[in-house]
Amino acid sequence: MRLIIRDDAEASSAYVAQYVVDRIKAFNPSPQNPFVLGLPTGSSPLIVYRMLVEKYKAGHISFENVVTFNMDEYVGIPRDHPESYHSFMWKHFFSHVNIHPSNVHILNGNAPNLEAECIAYEEAIRAVGGIDLFLAGIGEDGHIAFNEPGSSLASRTRVKTLAYDTILANSRFFDNDVNKVPRMALTVGVQTVLEAREVVVIILGQRKSLALQRCIEQGVNHMWTLSSLQLHPHPMIVVDEDATAELQVKTVKYFKSIEKVALEQGFEQILPSKVRTGNAASVPKTHVDEVSSPTILAPQPTTSRLLRATPATEYPVRSVSPELVPDRMASRIPEPALNNRLTPNPDEQVLRPAGIAA
Amino acid sequence: MPIALSPPTRPQNGLTKFTNCRLLRGDKLVDEDLWVSSVSGKVIHSQASFYDELVLPDKTINLGGRIVAPGMIECQLNGAFGFNFSTLLDDMSQYGKKVKEVNRLLVQTGVTSYLPTITSQRPELYQKALPHLGPSGRNRVAEDGAESLGAHCEGPFLSPSKNGVHNVDVMREAHTFADLEECYGAENLNASGEDGVIPVKMVTAAPERGQMMSLIPELRSKGIIYSIGHSEATYEDASAAVGKGATMITHLFNAMRPLHHRNPGIFGVLGIAESQERPFFGIISDGIHLHPTTIKIAFNAHPDGFILVTDAMHLVGLPDGAYPWTNGEKMCNIVKKGSTLMLENSDTIAGSSITLIECVNNFLRWTGSSIPLALKAVTSTPAAMLGLEGVKGSLEPGADADLVIFSEESVDGSSQLAVDEVWKFGTRIMT
Repeated sequence: MRLIIRDDAEASSAYVAQYVVDRIKAFNPSPQNPFVLGLPTGSSPLIVYRMLVEKYKAGHISFENVVTFNMDEYVGIPRDHPESYHSFMWKHFFSHVNIHPSNVHILNGNAPNLEAECIAYEEAIRAVGGIDLFLAGIGEDGHIAFNEPGSSLASRTRVKTLAYDTILANSRFFDNDVNKVPRMALTVGVQTVLEAREVVVIILGQRKSLALQRCIEQGVNHMWTLSSLQLHPHPMIVVDEDATAELQVKTVKYFKSIEKVALEQGFEQILPSKVRTGNAASVPKTHVDEVSSPTILAPQPTTSRLLRATPATEYPVRSVSPELVPDRMASRIPEPALNNRLTPNPDEQVLRPAGIAA
Repeated sequence: MPIALSPPTRPQNGLTKFTNCRLLRGDKLVDEDLWVSSVSGKVIHSQASFYDELVLPDKTINLGGRIVAPGMIECQLNGAFGFNFSTLLDDMSQYGKKVKEVNRLLVQTGVTSYLPTITSQRPELYQKALPHLGPSGRNRVAEDGAESLGAHCEGPFLSPSKNGVHNVDVMREAHTFADLEECYGAENLNASGEDGVIPVKMVTAAPERGQMMSLIPELRSKGIIYSIGHSEATYEDASAAVGKGATMITHLFNAMRPLHHRNPGIFGVLGIAESQERPFFGIISDGIHLHPTTIKIAFNAHPDGFILVTDAMHLVGLPDGAYPWTNGEKMCNIVKKGSTLMLENSDTIAGSSITLIECVNNFLRWTGSSIPLALKAVTSTPAAMLGLEGVKGSLEPGADADLVIFSEESVDGSSQLAVDEVWKFGTRIMT
């Protein structure tokens, strides 16, 4: 876990924006090997989007070969409704940069078959080779995407009913009328997020400090779905000072010292080169002593080992019960072997009637 | 410059995106992008095209903070660049060519659609000229320039005592609709052919003359706008005309009774309650027809009805000097000096030769109005008057992509606008 703490929202967002730009550049994406970016909506990432747009307009970055997947979308409001996540992404990001619409993926909350839409979404992520970097924000209850408290940590893209907390929080976008807030959403699952090669979460403001504390200082817990990030090999959480309010001083100091020491030693807290450059052929081969650094060589999400026993990789998640095959009781009795007659001694049987007669 | 704006591999779709600009939307200038299509000639709903058609614009134009407004709409133009619409040519086939020439030149001034106006004339002229002045934008060809939205017949059913420079001898009275048809030609007042286009869009007439008052509903039912003007109408007459369906007043204050505190005249109808129907009205802000303060009073009386018009003569666009002119009867000279036109050896105003953008700038300078309010008076308000809301004078998706790009400068503390570029049906035709 990397926890990056900056003074305010502006500085934290600047860090994230620069990080995303650096990652895309280092990846050197091409049409054959695009950079796959997972994107959030909400108030936390707003400044990040603004900065990404500025960097694009200044010519520092191109989104030509970037493929995006959005986390979630409401069910049942028109796509071009001002509060839909399609509109959010268009207004704050897509309309300002050179990303091609065919590279943009957002769940369709008006799909005739929502379940099929979710399955197709997972399929699309797999088809482009998985997500390289999932950018995320969280809710006050620690939800990542719309994976509300109590969501399975093995969940995948699916229809989700929103928690009352979330409906209340989002009612500010719907004329402060809770009745206008959609009750359901489509969202990527916790497992979908964890399968990204890297997850970067931005958390701003004191309102979210309790969620941050639960996710960093306490155990993995489905009531704070962000805590599942502890199982990911390359998570990074970027926060402002306000968001650290509930953390222990010790924790804050520890993560600050990691960053400081890393800087002093002249290396950044960066990812293994294989993760950084994706499937590009031009990765320089580095010989690493396998024994001393197994995780660097083969970054495997811990969850994929922990959760492999569960049928998490298939959708829908259901326990397997055997098909009912109607039968007769008689058929369960083994068929008698013809060469093994019920009467053990046929000779005696022949003799017996004779004996009676005698 | 952003990198990789439009790779050559992408198929062309005729879309242009304006960015880093301020769009005129309602009473505000908003920082938004605008997408237009040269294929459909319309403003595009950008988000829907992005998600539905998966398209990116061919061109992205960074306007450096300049203003994008709908093309200006002129409701009263008597002629321009030396051609007077109230002219009878020996060979009337030349008339159509002259109009096309005016259209191409006029669009350079930022006027993308207009009502060519014929002053009081004999029936022969109306019947020969009007077929050439009907709506001309059907084919949506950008290179045709400014588009006629239909003709404006200013006369001859006017009050002889409020004739202005119109010829009193040709004025007449109408008692039945047939009288109108006899003057303008029935084919010019009725939908003809399969496209159902009516050449006449607006008629200025004095409601108190003949039975004009009773003819207003029939004009209106045909989609022709009835405008009160050149009239001796009292407040009561004007109110009755509005009640019958008059929706416009031609050059308010000029050629009508002045505002009197005991009979407010035609101007008075702007003073009625907001909840009731109030007409639109044309204002000539050339500094000669009206005092600047009068303009501000009229604006404040009914901002949503305020339309700037030029009433310009054909001399607009020509150098200063004395030009021969006939009102259909006798020849005389009109002296052009700057944008003012006077009948020679008199103090009669003979229309103006101001351009519409000069009117807008005068209005800005005299009233200290905001730029959006001034531009509204030549875009969305005239469009609403003409029943073309959302088609002309608008930047909403689906509206015709007639645009003017303005740069703004501050002169003596007030904003002034300059026409930088003109776009018609999504294509740039003037830079």
